[in-house]
Amino acid sequence: MTPSRLDLQALALGYEGRAFMRGIDLRVDASEIVAILGPSGSGKSTLLSAIAGVVPPLDGRILIDGRDVTRAPIHERDVGLIFQEPLLFPHLDVASNIAYGLRRHGQTRKAALLRATELLEWLGLGGYERRRVDELSGGQAQRVALARALAPRPAVLCLDEPFSALDADLRQRLAVEVSAMLRESGVAAIHVTHDPTEARTVADRVIELSALGEAL
Amino acid sequence: MTPTLPGWLRWSWLPPGAFLLVFLVYPLAVLAVTVTSDSGGGVISTLASPTLWQVTGLAAGQAAASTVVALLVGLPLANVVSRYRFRGRAFAQALVTVPFVLPTVVVALALRSLLGDGVPQGLVLVVMAHAYVNLAVVARIVGAQWAQHSGDYESVARTLGASRWRAFVDVTLPSLRPAIAASAAVVFVFSFTSLGIVLLLGDPTTRTLESQILRQTSVLLDFPGAAATALVQLVIVSTVLLLGAAASRRSATRRSRPPALRPLPSSVSGRAAVRITAVIGALIVLAPVAALVASSLRSSRGWALSWWTSLGSVDAGTTRLSPPSEAITTSLTYAALTALIAAGVGGLAAIASLTSGRSRIIAVLALIPLGVSAATLGLGTLLAFGRPPMDLRATGLLIPLAHALVAVPLVIAVVAPSLRSTDTRMSAVAATLGARPTRAFWTTYGPVLRIVMVAAAALAGAVSLGEFGAATFLGRAAAPTVPVQIVRLLGRPGEQSLGVAAVLAVVLVVMTLLLVMLVDRWATPLRRTTAQENPA
Repeated sequence: MTPSRLDLQALALGYEGRAFMRGIDLRVDASEIVAILGPSGSGKSTLLSAIAGVVPPLDGRILIDGRDVTRAPIHERDVGLIFQEPLLFPHLDVASNIAYGLRRHGQTRKAALLRATELLEWLGLGGYERRRVDELSGGQAQRVALARALAPRPAVLCLDEPFSALDADLRQRLAVEVSAMLRESGVAAIHVTHDPTEARTVADRVIELSALGEAL
Repeated sequence: MTPTLPGWLRWSWLPPGAFLLVFLVYPLAVLAVTVTSDSGGGVISTLASPTLWQVTGLAAGQAAASTVVALLVGLPLANVVSRYRFRGRAFAQALVTVPFVLPTVVVALALRSLLGDGVPQGLVLVVMAHAYVNLAVVARIVGAQWAQHSGDYESVARTLGASRWRAFVDVTLPSLRPAIAASAAVVFVFSFTSLGIVLLLGDPTTRTLESQILRQTSVLLDFPGAAATALVQLVIVSTVLLLGAAASRRSATRRSRPPALRPLPSSVSGRAAVRITAVIGALIVLAPVAALVASSLRSSRGWALSWWTSLGSVDAGTTRLSPPSEAITTSLTYAALTALIAAGVGGLAAIASLTSGRSRIIAVLALIPLGVSAATLGLGTLLAFGRPPMDLRATGLLIPLAHALVAVPLVIAVVAPSLRSTDTRMSAVAATLGARPTRAFWTTYGPVLRIVMVAAAALAGAVSLGEFGAATFLGRAAAPTVPVQIVRLLGRPGEQSLGVAAVLAVVLVVMTLLLVMLVDRWATPLRRTTAQENPA
């Protein structure tokens, strides 16, 4: 049996040594989108931060393609991260933002920018390469953030309420769009939200956070 | 520390820590030891001498008068500049800041040029100069709070029968009290520790402890006595600053909405009052500077450029070795060195303050020079590094080092907030895209640092250009800085000395304003986009 893309084993999460959740088990396969539902403040973001390596888990293991990355530094994990706000680098233009991760993975600037152009076309943002990021609308900026995260082809993508800063109409449209793109890219995606409709639109599987492990 | 910050950041406090230890803590310790280990009784006799306490009393009275005048002139300006929308408001606001950034020596000379013999040297002239310099302190600090204050409270008071004045006293003034207290404390301290203005415009009744320290070290060679005086001053200054901070703390918590400018009053008299205040303010600020420029161009034979052309002549100088223009080179060199040292030390200290724990201590330590006067710093440095066996004076480094100590807190004040307001999740994003910690750090903070460090360095340079106290203590006789040269020239009789001093002062004004404009341009990190990422 080939290992899952992402495999969380008995993960415990907490702040300053005090656990608020333990025994989290979850497997996500390639091209699969899992939505995790939970009210705000329930620890969804902490889970994503732990997978990406921003905060260390208190206990348990995180495997990516069978490799134990529990203690690996962020930049060696192969995990992409998307926040509520796009957090585009303000000093770089649109194409350079998307090319950033490719450059860090050893591509030449020319190749990286070429790939960025392709991704922008794919997103329906062709011609935006040289735009300043503060000229983008909220939806455009979030799409660019998605392209930036997907460009280095991460094994796992964590999306932390990526649409909650957008208005309802746009949120629905983008959810459909992003879900299609994620499937096409082959990434294993974890999408965290408090909105059940959005979760069902985007994901193949919807799981309540409370069902993942034992809340303390 | 979050795992996205590079490991070396944990040690970034070391260089600034070492710098402050060697050039701040050690000299102050030497100063303290000089006071306590003195067996000759110089300290006791200084502390017991009526002169010390007489000077303290005179300086306190002078500082109190300066504070009152600065408030009386500054409050109306704060009202007009920070609350009303009118054409030229931004210019007016910049104008109010000008006296504060002018070197004190220049202010002294400018007022002398303006008033001539109309106001004799002494208390009145000193108080005027201090009020002039500190207008910006009152206008900025009180103005910031006044802009936040809604006029609705006054309207309520008026509907309840209060006159306009009554409403101001009962409602407006109490809400401004914390800001007034804070600015008053700062103005008092600046005036109490004044040196350049007191030397140039004062008489025996306007001595300060600062000038007393200078006299004790350079004329009487009484180092224990000077150290004792410096300690007395340190205690008084710290007390006043603490009182000011305590009085203003109550306001700091409530920073509500962004200030909204209001249109000019609807009544004709109201409009006129605002306009007249603005014009008078502009006149107050500009008249001395204009007079200074005029006296650099005028001799008893009429208008001429002769003072400007004699800038390069040895005969016009005071060193008998080099022309006055040498002082400009000296000052610029010191300013450049100060900018380098202060930006390096302060920048690293600000970066260190991003991490938790002991690194923050450095940022606090670096604030000490704000409370210690320039002469105290200069004296401490002189005692520690300016005498055999460790005489660094010949290296020319002592002045930039002392100036850097004065500038480091300002550098930190400019850099640290910009760094802290940067979204730290940015470095997490960079890391998930494959950036190593150091790379992720520069992606997140590099753009801010590149901009804000230019501003910080320019600010440090401006501080160095105008600084007088430390430069007097640490300078070599043969290589004075511009402010020191100006004071020396004014100490000599003759029309030429005055004219050349005015020329140097104008040059100093121009250099300082250029640097301050650089700060203004770069201090607010603009969201600029470079076309592409550096191909690194």
